Amino acid sequence: MKGKKLSVIPVMSAWSNRIGRAYILISTLISAIIILLIALVLFIYSWEAISQQRADLFTSIWNPAAGQFGILAMLYGSLMVTVIALAIAIPLGLATALFTSEMLGVRYRFHVKFLLELLAGIPSVLYGLIGVAFFSVWLGDLFDLQSGRTILTAGILLAIMVLPTIITLGDDALHNVPRQYREAAQGLGLYPHEVIIHIVLPLAKTDIAGAVLLALGRALGETMAVMLVIGGIDKIPPSLVNIMVPGQTITSKLGREIEETAFASMHFSALIFMGLALLVMVLALTAIAQHYFRPGLRLYE
Amino acid sequence: MLISGGRKNIIKRAKKQALDWLTGLLLILIIAGCTKNESLNAAGSTTVLPIVVLAAERFKALHGVNVIVNAGGSGVGINQLGEGKIAIGMISRNISDAEIKRYPNVNFVVHSIGKDAVVPVVSSEIYDAGIKSLSLRQIGKIYLGEITSWKQLGGPDKDILVIDKEKSRGTRHVFMEIVLGDKEVSAPGADLVLGDNNEEQTAVMQSDSAIGMLSNAWLNSDVKGLSIILQNGSTVEPKLENISNGRFPITRDLLLVTSGEPAGNIKAFIDFILSDEGQKIVRDSGYVSLEQ
Repeated sequence: MKGKKLSVIPVMSAWSNRIGRAYILISTLISAIIILLIALVLFIYSWEAISQQRADLFTSIWNPAAGQFGILAMLYGSLMVTVIALAIAIPLGLATALFTSEMLGVRYRFHVKFLLELLAGIPSVLYGLIGVAFFSVWLGDLFDLQSGRTILTAGILLAIMVLPTIITLGDDALHNVPRQYREAAQGLGLYPHEVIIHIVLPLAKTDIAGAVLLALGRALGETMAVMLVIGGIDKIPPSLVNIMVPGQTITSKLGREIEETAFASMHFSALIFMGLALLVMVLALTAIAQHYFRPGLRLYE
Repeated sequence: MLISGGRKNIIKRAKKQALDWLTGLLLILIIAGCTKNESLNAAGSTTVLPIVVLAAERFKALHGVNVIVNAGGSGVGINQLGEGKIAIGMISRNISDAEIKRYPNVNFVVHSIGKDAVVPVVSSEIYDAGIKSLSLRQIGKIYLGEITSWKQLGGPDKDILVIDKEKSRGTRHVFMEIVLGDKEVSAPGADLVLGDNNEEQTAVMQSDSAIGMLSNAWLNSDVKGLSIILQNGSTVEPKLENISNGRFPITRDLLLVTSGEPAGNIKAFIDFILSDEGQKIVRDSGYVSLEQ
């Protein structure tokens, strides 16, 4: 039995090597083409809006019936909910990651991480339903608002949604810092909190940035949950920092309106342009983050 | 010998597996192809939806034809029919000129299946505090943002939560046409812009100071329909008899729309809804049937 296996594998491996190689190359190519195609299709279909509306796209009035397609209100909403979500989720998530990675025993860490990853798998529409049925009502009562469907509600809901991502990837980042650095630091007589602040966190910086980036992508792109709780009105509040009013994000606008438009109409084109704007935003933020947190800055491998 | 035998076996097994997969795939395709012939797709207005869903169940029991019904709103119903994605569009408003122009190759044929009213609704707290009727002018001013507090209308000292609907929704077209004279008018007074009847109903229920617009069949103990004060001073309650005799000012026909004259299963389904049994479903859903 053993001899047979040994004699088969070397001959097969020459073949399977070639097949495996081709398979991997083709898969990579397909993935790359899909990404390029998405960008290309978005650009082609938004061209009508770009070429005819031009600067009018960056006004704050969206009224397809009158031919006005200003996306500023949606752009504002998207940026605002993302900023709120990250402002809440980063400190909370990092503190939890520090707990699971630095303070929790190895055995418990495994279980806690398992539960967190389960949390990350909950479909977003469930968050949305809980948000619209309970959370927005509580928030409305708490702040004595006219309606609990606000930009803040969406931001907090998003924070809860991206929290597992930040915690579990943040925990990995901290855990990957090699033991010898901690031991050396401890050997120099540093307190545990000094080890964390001066040794572990700076070393894990790059990977933590990666976790935040992934959370940011999810927050910007989340549709269903946001759509249900944000109120759906294309308005920029008179005071830019007043987040307890209803608003609209790019994704919630797309979710609500794309089906109502005729394919390839100006309305459709303007909506696709918003999609393109979202893509550009994500790409730009990714590029900036990668520039500042280059993997090359890592001290360990 | 041993080596080539092993290889042959593996190749043989791989071949057999591939064949199994292909056969399975083919079977699935055939089954999918078969069922497709015996089904109809409908989509659109959430006002018409309850009727069509119930009718679809009965129709399947009677004729064995599946009718797959989806929501989305009147605008979606017209677009998907125009693009040939569905056989029957459900709409609760007239097709606009822009929509007819948008699909020059499609001959929209509408079939009236019942009648409904669009009723201005308020949270029960407001209704109980004494706001039981408003004039169309007053409602219009609320949506334009000229009236912002219930106090201005003799109610409690609370800001009005003005709930608007997405612009292509049938309920909004009908409501705004009568209230402000333009079915696609902007409503600068709006605080929330929501979608289907359920979403609107939930938001009015959750608030204690909201005004919205709903199909008559969606009123309940938390969502109260307002009577409308006519120009001659009399008030009309949103009741089925006032809808059928046309006294209530904001009424509409519930429509199914097909591309060209219906034939085959499509015709059979529409005829079923127009039959006595189908019209009973219309009444049971809270609407006014055609003979009423």
